[in-house]
Amino acid sequence: MRTWGAAALFIGVTAVTFGCSDNTRGGALQLKALGRTRERELAARLAKADKPDKKSDESKPVAVWIMPPELREISGLALTADGRVLAHDDEVAKIYVIDPKRGIMLKQFTLGTGMRADFESITEAGSDIYMLASNGVLYQFQEGADGSGVPYSANDLHLGKECEFESMVYQADSNWLVMPCKNARDKTLEHNLVIYRWKIGGTADNRLSMVSVPFAQLVGNNKWKSLHPSDITIDPATGNFVMISSHENALIEMTRNFGLVRAEKLPPGHNQPEGVAITKDGILMISDEATRKPADISLYRWHPTQPTDTIQ
Amino acid sequence: MPVLASVIDVFTRGSDRPVRRLVAYYLFLGLVAFGVALVFPRLIELLAGKGLEGMPGGEKALQDGLTGGGSAASSVFGPGGLGDIAISTLVILIGTLLLMLPVSWVYMSARSVQGHSQSVVQTLIILPLVVAGIIIIVQNSLALAFSLAGVVGAVRFRTNLKDTRDLVFVFLSIAVGFAAGVQSIAVGALLSMFFNFVLILTWRYDYGRNLLTPTASSQWTGPLQSLASETGQHDVPDRDLILSLTPENADVLAHRFGRVSEALGSKKKKPRFDSVLTVATDEVTRAQDAVQKVLDSNAKRSKLDEVIVNTGKPSVLYYLVKLKKSVTRDEFLTEVQSEAGGLITSADLEIGERIREEDTSKA
Repeated sequence: MRTWGAAALFIGVTAVTFGCSDNTRGGALQLKALGRTRERELAARLAKADKPDKKSDESKPVAVWIMPPELREISGLALTADGRVLAHDDEVAKIYVIDPKRGIMLKQFTLGTGMRADFESITEAGSDIYMLASNGVLYQFQEGADGSGVPYSANDLHLGKECEFESMVYQADSNWLVMPCKNARDKTLEHNLVIYRWKIGGTADNRLSMVSVPFAQLVGNNKWKSLHPSDITIDPATGNFVMISSHENALIEMTRNFGLVRAEKLPPGHNQPEGVAITKDGILMISDEATRKPADISLYRWHPTQPTDTIQ
Repeated sequence: MPVLASVIDVFTRGSDRPVRRLVAYYLFLGLVAFGVALVFPRLIELLAGKGLEGMPGGEKALQDGLTGGGSAASSVFGPGGLGDIAISTLVILIGTLLLMLPVSWVYMSARSVQGHSQSVVQTLIILPLVVAGIIIIVQNSLALAFSLAGVVGAVRFRTNLKDTRDLVFVFLSIAVGFAAGVQSIAVGALLSMFFNFVLILTWRYDYGRNLLTPTASSQWTGPLQSLASETGQHDVPDRDLILSLTPENADVLAHRFGRVSEALGSKKKKPRFDSVLTVATDEVTRAQDAVQKVLDSNAKRSKLDEVIVNTGKPSVLYYLVKLKKSVTRDEFLTEVQSEAGGLITSADLEIGERIREEDTSKA
């Protein structure tokens, strides 16, 4: 009896030790399995969203990924060429790389040692990544390894007095960084959406240009008197600009020439939307800063419109 | 604690030198941490200052906001599900306890009998646990931090510590609790180690001592005494004695030392006596005769060591005794009471460690 008891105890202890041991390989396998499950689940939800029935509610997200506490002030969003999401903190130059379909934080890296500024937007342009501060300082760097500090260069656009920036997107076919103003300081343009464009690799003569579009042309049937863009992205299917505004709780789609395609309210539940991105396979992502709830990224099915005009 | 003491004895070969015992303890702790980390690699995160850095490496699952599945990333507790939180909290609290134990030992060894406070010792153990718990709860939540400030503000307490050095110990316990609470047990461990060794070295070299003020050794007692020796060869700090004694006191002390030396016998031999009989009586001569009778029949050898005659309260007789092996303490005291019951007010026999151990093993 005593022998059996000892054997049972030995087996129990061995099982608990191996079962509880959290080795790296075991963790990676679990994560992989979780990722596959989530990917399948997301595909099923997207398929359901593609064929809506009477019960389905398109204003509800197909997935919501809760951000970790260190990313509570998530600001801009950008997609990489391989479909990963770049997100960044509002105050610290720390970039988080996320797999949006599996809901997995892949890695994090900082610019240098992680300096502080009021970072507002991020975009990828080829192999380079650009991050914009609200005072118009543009930071250029490349993706780094997990936990690394990457070298960067800073370029002051000297637009801090004219504009408070909060959004930026890279338009690949024109090689422009498109940067709408959240608040334009020029009184003569107070009823316009002011958009600066900065050509990557351009000369001093043609590098910077400015476009202004009257708000009236962009608000559609809504009662918004102004627009304060929080982030802007490009729909890869049409090349249209898609802009969100936290202040107006608005989602606005514009042609390449800033003609209105649609202007509508954001789906409910977004307390402080700060970032937007659209994947090639039609998933709209909106990031929210932490307010009464933790920061998150919500995923919606995005139905693109037809392209309406060509680049000027 | 006897378990820990015997483990430390294995490392130190029974040495009672504080530095050796502390090194042995931390070595043992390090080995245990290493072993645990081998079996549970993720626990290394808890020891590696993750909380301070705020930069966890590797892939991590984000919480699914629709179903709540996957690894949670609560805004209150940081990454980790309920199980993770429970395990990490347990590790933090156990780690904190293990790091504060040597601090409390140093405190107990170092503080003088007069300045020693049991409540401070217990505070040193309990306070960091509470602080660590609070930090775990408050971490990353400004709202909780403010709530906590409100709650703590409502609970007022004020304690005046007699010695500023006690305050340093309390500060250390808060610091270790903080370090553990932000999942940086490694920082806490370094704090604990540095504090203890710096304290001992400060004591060893009497750092900052003014010759006109009492020496550290006259205020700090216990195992640290041996460290006060300049050469490290003497168990009693001669220079401190010379500086702190008057000639009269030195004579009395020399007399006492002589008596103790005689009682103990020569080196490398078993002590001649192993217990002290204390008898309180109002009739010194008659009680002495009665007690001597009992000693003659029950003790292998005995000697009247000292008679302290008091007025207004019973006088005290001290005997150095070595009982016969067949006689137990209780039997001996019973016989003393029956023989001299009417003459004495109390009798007690303090037996040395060796005899006590033998008694225990017999039982």
